Order: sequence, then C-alpha cells, then structure tokens
Amino acid sequence: MALSAPTAAHPAPNHQLQVEHLGHRFDATAVLSDVSLNVADNEIVAIVGPSGCGKTTLLRACAGLLSPTSGVVCRTDQSVGFVFQEPALLAWRRVAHNAALLSADQALIEHLLVVSGLGEHRHKWPYQLSGGTKMRLSLVRTLAAQPSLVLLDEPFGALDQITRHRLHDELARLHAERGFAALMVTHAIDEAVYLADRVVVMSQAPGRIVGEFAVPFARTRNNSLRYSPEFGDLCGRIAHCLETHA
Amino acid sequence: MKLSQRTRKLWPPLAVFGALISGWYALAYSLDNNFASGDGSALIIPPPHQLFVGLNDSTIDRIISATYISASTALVGLLTATIIGILVGIIMNLSRSLESALWPWLIALQVTPIIVLTPIIVRVAGPTFGARVLVTVLIAFFPIASNTLFGLRSVSQPLHDVFTLAKCSRWQRLAQLELPAASPAIFAGLRVSAGLAVIGAVVGDFFFTRGTPGLGRLITYFFQDTRSGPMFVTALVTAFLGLGFFVVVETLRRLIVSPWHQT
Repeated sequence: MALSAPTAAHPAPNHQLQVEHLGHRFDATAVLSDVSLNVADNEIVAIVGPSGCGKTTLLRACAGLLSPTSGVVCRTDQSVGFVFQEPALLAWRRVAHNAALLSADQALIEHLLVVSGLGEHRHKWPYQLSGGTKMRLSLVRTLAAQPSLVLLDEPFGALDQITRHRLHDELARLHAERGFAALMVTHAIDEAVYLADRVVVMSQAPGRIVGEFAVPFARTRNNSLRYSPEFGDLCGRIAHCLETHA
Repeated sequence: MKLSQRTRKLWPPLAVFGALISGWYALAYSLDNNFASGDGSALIIPPPHQLFVGLNDSTIDRIISATYISASTALVGLLTATIIGILVGIIMNLSRSLESALWPWLIALQVTPIIVLTPIIVRVAGPTFGARVLVTVLIAFFPIASNTLFGLRSVSQPLHDVFTLAKCSRWQRLAQLELPAASPAIFAGLRVSAGLAVIGAVVGDFFFTRGTPGLGRLITYFFQDTRSGPMFVTALVTAFLGLGFFVVVETLRRLIVSPWHQT
C-alpha cells in the first residue's frame, strides 16, 4: 500500500519499503532533499545523522504519518509498526493490556511478554516500570501486531548504556524469531553498526543521503563484537563520513 | 512513644477544628447583647453548645425538606453539567474553528455572576425544578468543559500516531485514547464543579419565592425571624452538603483515576 499522495505503487519484489527522491519542506524550510533508499525483507537498515537533519521526518513519511512535499514512498500491503522515542504507553492500561492494544493474538502476546522478560510485570501499571522496561513493552506491543516493517525512531536514546545494550540484544533476538524488515533512526553509530545490515548516513539539513555502509558481520552478534577492531574501524569510517558532511 | 502515621495525619485538621470552636466561643461571648436577659438564649451568635436549642420537630422537618430540595437540585445540576461540560469540551476539541466560536461565549457566561442571571431565568422559566437545575448547570459546567478540553488536547502526538497507524475510527480514538487520557483533568474540573453545584442550588434558591424552600431561602427566613440557632444549623447543613458532594467526587476519582495516575 502506498502511503504518500503521489503514488500507489508497490515496492520492488522482496522489498518492504522503497523511498524515491523524497523531499519535504516545513513552510520555507527544506528538511529533506532527494532521499532514496529501500529496505528488503528481513533487513535492518539504520539511519544516522546530526540532529535536525530530518531523520524523524523521513520515518514519519515512511509510516504514512506525513505527506511528503515531493517524491514517492512505496510499501507492501502489510502493516507497519512504529516504535517512538518515548514508549507511548496507555497509562490507564496494565502491562498485559498495553501489549494487547494492537493485536488480538493472545498466544503471541503471551509469548512475547515471556521472552522479553515482561511476564512478571504483566499486572503492573506503566508508571511502575523503569524506562528500559517501558521501552521493551513498547517493542512487544509493536511486534504483537506482526508487522512486516518496523520503523524505530531513536527508541533507546533516553536509556543508560547497560540497558541500551540489553535492549539491542532483545531486539536482535526478536528480529531473528519474528523476521521483519526494520528502518531505525539513531544518533549512536555503535548502535547502528551492532543492529543493522546497512547503515545510511544523512547530511545536515536539508537531509540527504551522503554515505551508505554495508555491515559485514554475521547476523548473530554478541557484546564482544563491540570491542573488535573491525567494529571500531567501521564505526570510525561512519563517524568520519558524518563529520565531513555535518 | 512515637505517633502512628494515622494519628500524625489526623491531628492537624483536629487542631484547626479546636481553634475554630474556640474562636466561635470567644466571638459568641465577646459580643455585647448576644444573650437574652431572661433565659440566656443567644440572639446573634449561639455558642456551639446552644446550636440545637429551639430546634423543634417542625423546624427540623423544614430543614430536612429544604436539604432534599437543594441536594436534588445540586445533584441533577451536577450530573447535567458533567454531561454538557464533557460534550462541549469534545465539540471544541473537534476543530479550532469550533473552539474559537464557542470559547468567548463560555467565558462571558462564566464571568457573569449567576446572581444576576437567576432572576431572568426565574422570570422566563418560572419557579420550577428545571429552572433551579438550569441555574446550577450554568454555574457548574464551565470547569468541566474547560478541563475536558485541556485534557483532550494534552494527549501526546506519539499516542495519536499509534492510533493513526492502527487505522482507528474517530470514535475509537475518543473512547479508547482521548477520554481516558483526559479523565484526570476532567475529575479535577468535577471537584471544583461539585462545590459550585451546591453554591448554585443554594444561591439560586434565594429567587424562588414560591413552593417548598431550599436551604438558601430557609436561611433567609430564619434570618428574618432572628432565629440564630436554626440559621446556624442550616448553614452547617449546607456546608456538609457541599462536603458530601466533594467526598463523592473524590471517591470516584480515587477509584477510577488514582490507581494509574500519579497526582
């Protein structure tokens, strides 16, 4: 299903998302300029870029929450999941009820609650959870709807490093189990390299794509990868690209 | 011995109560000519122990009947004000144009003292129960309407986005997202309106010169007859009526909102 106004075309075969020559302006201010990218089935693509380069605007256009000024966004007919910077939970629903907001598949919800360590919290209210647990619940709620494409907008940005690393492994495990395509926006280069198959670098506003890096590591990754020379080298090259175009 | 937490919570309001009673006694006994030379009954301010002197069965019946009139007016008025207030808040939330069309008139209604509107309402609608309720609604609905609007507008954008992506209808968004999110604000408005409803029922009553009197008119009768004891008792009953409304609303708030909302 195409979400943007100009087209109703489907993405190329084996792709969940295709963005072509996307541009957007807020009044006189150009935010995005000629952005083209695609996300294949089961692929995780990370976008890194300086603050205000239009990353969130790009993600909202991909979700259909915003009509871009120009260009085309093509998606499959299947549902899209969105994980926001904040957990966006319903404060008046307990954990289990929040997890079931977008899905009626009780068996799947139960399974996701258990594998994500939320089983013991199922009767709690959101205010009784830590920041990391809230974000985990937000992820579970999104995945319970079985989306074929998940858009993540700096979901771990407000968390401490240890919690962030735990949630990286959590997301990777759920991705391996459920199999979905993902487009993730982040400020953290190491997060992008650890989680993604490809890292796309955006320039200062108006945001455009200035670099693309394939991540060569095998899909099953563990924390020791973060301290390997290859990981550091790739992070360094991405950082250099980012600084050059900042 | 350490005071229990319950005792620690209880003693400040009890201390204020003691101070008020002491002040009441001091005032009653410091006024010149407050007591009749014959039986020693109070003429202006009865001290607390003389409050119920002169309260015969007929007077008690009049107070009970007036309490029923005022309580039922305040209750029906508050329920009507709640429904109208929430509906007006929802309507104004539908579009900025509707808000700008309605808001100035709501403000005008709110800042106009109800005491000047009541005679007009009585003249137009007659001294009916409906007219009493209308006076109460006019004074009580604004805090509910404005708080409902504030609450509905306070829903965060990501939560709206979740419902947009789930392709929820306008009704689902209202029922499952906006109204629950606005409920703490709505209850904050209701707490104010509960007191206002009693004020509206009592103040409006001053202008209803026919039929069974409510608490407002009864207190003026006792005032004209210089019956200080019944006048004070009526005032106390009115205060407890207001308190009762507040307690009911606060209990509902604690049951519905407090479990999940940290205030």
